[in-house]
Amino acid sequence: MAEKLVPVVCPWCSVGCRFYAVSVNGYIRKIEFDYEHPTVNRGKLCPKGVASYQFINSPNRLKKPLKRVGEKGEGKFEEITWEEAYRIIAERIKEIKETYGPEAIAFLASEKITLEENYLVHKLSKAIGTNHLDFPGRYCQYSNSPARTAIFGSAAATNPFEDVAKAELIVIWGHNPAETAPVFFGQYIEKAVLDNGAEMVVIDPRGTRGHKYASLHLKPYPGTDLAIALAMLNVVISEELYDKEFVQERTTGFEELKEAVKDYTPEWAEKISGVPAEDIRKVARLIATKRTALFVNEGMNQHVNGFETALAIADLIAITGNIGKEGVWSGVFPGAQCGFCAAMTGIAPNKLPTGKLVTDEEARAELERLWGFKVPEWVGLDLTGMIREMGNKIRMMYIVGGNIAKSAPNSAWVREQLKKLDFLVVQDIFLTETAKYADIVLPAAAWFEKTGTAISAERRVQRTYMAANPPGEAKPDWLILVELAKELGLGEYFKYEHPDEILREINSVIPVFKGATPEYLAEHPEGCFFPCTEPGEGTKVLFKNGFKTADGKAHLQPVKWREPPEMPDDEYPLWLTNFRFVGQWHTGTMTFESPSLQKRWPEEYVMINPKDAERYGIKSGDLVKVETRRGSVLARAEVTEHVREGVIAMPNHWDINFLTLEVTHEKTKMAELKAVAARVKKVEE
Amino acid sequence: MSKKIFLDYKRCIGCKACEVACEMTHGEARIRVFEFPDLFTVPFNCRHCEKAPCLNVCPTGALFRDEDGAVAFDPLKCIGCLMCAVACPFGIPKLDEENKIMDKCDLCADRRAEGLLPACVSACPTEALKFGEINEVLWNREGKIVANLKSSAEKGEGEKAYIVL
Ligand code: SF4
Ligand code: SF4
Ligand code: SF4
Repeated sequence: MAEKLVPVVCPWCSVGCRFYAVSVNGYIRKIEFDYEHPTVNRGKLCPKGVASYQFINSPNRLKKPLKRVGEKGEGKFEEITWEEAYRIIAERIKEIKETYGPEAIAFLASEKITLEENYLVHKLSKAIGTNHLDFPGRYCQYSNSPARTAIFGSAAATNPFEDVAKAELIVIWGHNPAETAPVFFGQYIEKAVLDNGAEMVVIDPRGTRGHKYASLHLKPYPGTDLAIALAMLNVVISEELYDKEFVQERTTGFEELKEAVKDYTPEWAEKISGVPAEDIRKVARLIATKRTALFVNEGMNQHVNGFETALAIADLIAITGNIGKEGVWSGVFPGAQCGFCAAMTGIAPNKLPTGKLVTDEEARAELERLWGFKVPEWVGLDLTGMIREMGNKIRMMYIVGGNIAKSAPNSAWVREQLKKLDFLVVQDIFLTETAKYADIVLPAAAWFEKTGTAISAERRVQRTYMAANPPGEAKPDWLILVELAKELGLGEYFKYEHPDEILREINSVIPVFKGATPEYLAEHPEGCFFPCTEPGEGTKVLFKNGFKTADGKAHLQPVKWREPPEMPDDEYPLWLTNFRFVGQWHTGTMTFESPSLQKRWPEEYVMINPKDAERYGIKSGDLVKVETRRGSVLARAEVTEHVREGVIAMPNHWDINFLTLEVTHEKTKMAELKAVAARVKKVEE
Repeated sequence: MSKKIFLDYKRCIGCKACEVACEMTHGEARIRVFEFPDLFTVPFNCRHCEKAPCLNVCPTGALFRDEDGAVAFDPLKCIGCLMCAVACPFGIPKLDEENKIMDKCDLCADRRAEGLLPACVSACPTEALKFGEINEVLWNREGKIVANLKSSAEKGEGEKAYIVL
């Protein structure tokens, strides 16, 4: 009964905290903090990290492959053997390929599986012949990521977290790291503000836990952040506060930008966003004059106009020279521990794992040489596009660890669409809402039950190790994919017996991971910062000597105001937005199975400003119906000053997406998940 | 020599990692985080009082002071008479109904014996919970406040240093 301390990476958010799983005979008994290594978390953990083995040991884990026997969505299944499951899947893939061609098949990878597993999902989808490939991260960073790529050539975090403590100004914009990344907030933001005297400003329609440290709090209506960003550009340019040398030497497109924003005064932005013009001016001047670490997240990202907002914010960072040096920070901040694992293995309908485009003939040829099979050259569908085409262009879907029946916008519509598929395979650790629509459900090993690689928000590539045996017949995702490939007759391309072998292939296929070898990562639990081109050669600060664009300059983008797709009107007079709890995560698949979290963050509620509450005769604790044009949900009201007038807000771990809107941005395919028109009504009990 | 957990509550963000860590270690959380409407949150656990009234009234000697100065607890001696709960000004000792004895924070005696920090302190992401020789913790705090006052006076920022208080 010897106890073993197995080093693991936390399975939840993207801070990348490390600790030990204390394993006894293949079972996790507890966790222990790692105070020895120079890790990002310096031993610390948030409540999710501390409770992270509870869901692993849940009795509700999937233990055997399942075949649907009831109606789609009903949740009635019978247990089958792995052999039978593989046989059925392989037969159906063959049939569908023969009838409709491989372009009728879509794959969904995940920000919750390892780097190696994302790579294999990508390889298998291409081996089958389809480029319909995406992951739920489409609804996460896909405003900021394409925007920063357009301007800087790369979207990733510019600096390590340690630089945040050296910043003079912390801007937190549509982000609530005190709840979504508490260890990052405590170890880096608080140190900057409380210990090093940095100033902090917050842009958010809600008041949140971290906001008590802010000197200024701007409260825009949801989805109007773009107006504020444009006005800040206007202020910085018209008051000539921009970094002239930096603009001159390291950017292009300044004149076009200047022309584009010349009419967007703070007074104009005040009318749209409800934020006093004077506050917009103050923050713009602060950003222009102080070394700034700027954090944006879903409050900025999850809008149809999020791309434009992200462009404007990136322009602002560039012209104020807050990039390419120490003591600043900006970049994408994925929600999950492995968002980068999917993004950096090219999980997207138009990419190759090398990050190059599927339409790039040369890059395709190079990959075909490495992989030994033909790679399709057409651009596939994004996640919302796949859902829209279910039963039409898309006949079959293979989902690894994603819960789109709950996380995609307009849930009622998504669930109807799921029913239209000829064949659905879901590979997961629990019978999620989505799995209930599957024809075959495959039981996967959970995070601590396999070895693999994770990548944190600050670009740290770290290894996590197997600490427990999977329950019943569950298997790691990578092994399921390898065995299925064999059944499909693709075995020669999937000859892996251990995740190390997959990582070695990644080392040779994806240049930014060349130095992140299994051996290096085993010796260095704190990992390396990608691009890590040679073992030990991480890159801590990006863009010091040039951007990742063709000419090495930041390509400033002119941006125009764009209205959110749905705005409050007489019928639906309120803005509805949503947020997260520190002790819940995404759709709750894992947190609902963690008793210590579930009992502390048990249910949803709707935040409503006292003025609105009075208008609608609502008191705290009343049961109310929250309604949009897509549907309605019931929740208790919480009357509070911590949400601005005209806005209501709900946590997004329950049924929020019955209310959101599936309209997407034409380029980024981001949906409207954070700002829709709603009404509330008290329900008599 | 007296080791304590100092509650630097202005750093607290109410994440309840401390509660969960305690619960995972002892089955029941012996630390609680109180939330106030102005977004302030205050963690609170046994104060391990220097003149602990609970310890003085315990008829069986189940409560005792250990070598680190913690008001520790011997479950084998406890008879569940609730005298400690009556005497404690904060209502800290609770009845463990299953085992018919009291339950209270022992500053993680088992963890300290292994050279580890108390579970709640280990977890706390913001360092709102600080464990150590209490006067050392307090001298550090004083030193930091004075340094902050000095640096803001030099920068002409006056009152700002009080943010740490
Ligand atoms: S901050 Fe993130 S990575 Fe760290 S313990 Fe919490 S969930 Fe895990
Ligand atoms: S010191 Fe230990 S027993 Fe006391 S509150 Fe903290 S975790 Fe709980
Ligand atoms: S763990 Fe620390 S920050 Fe979190 S609630 Fe407890 S004392 Fe506060």
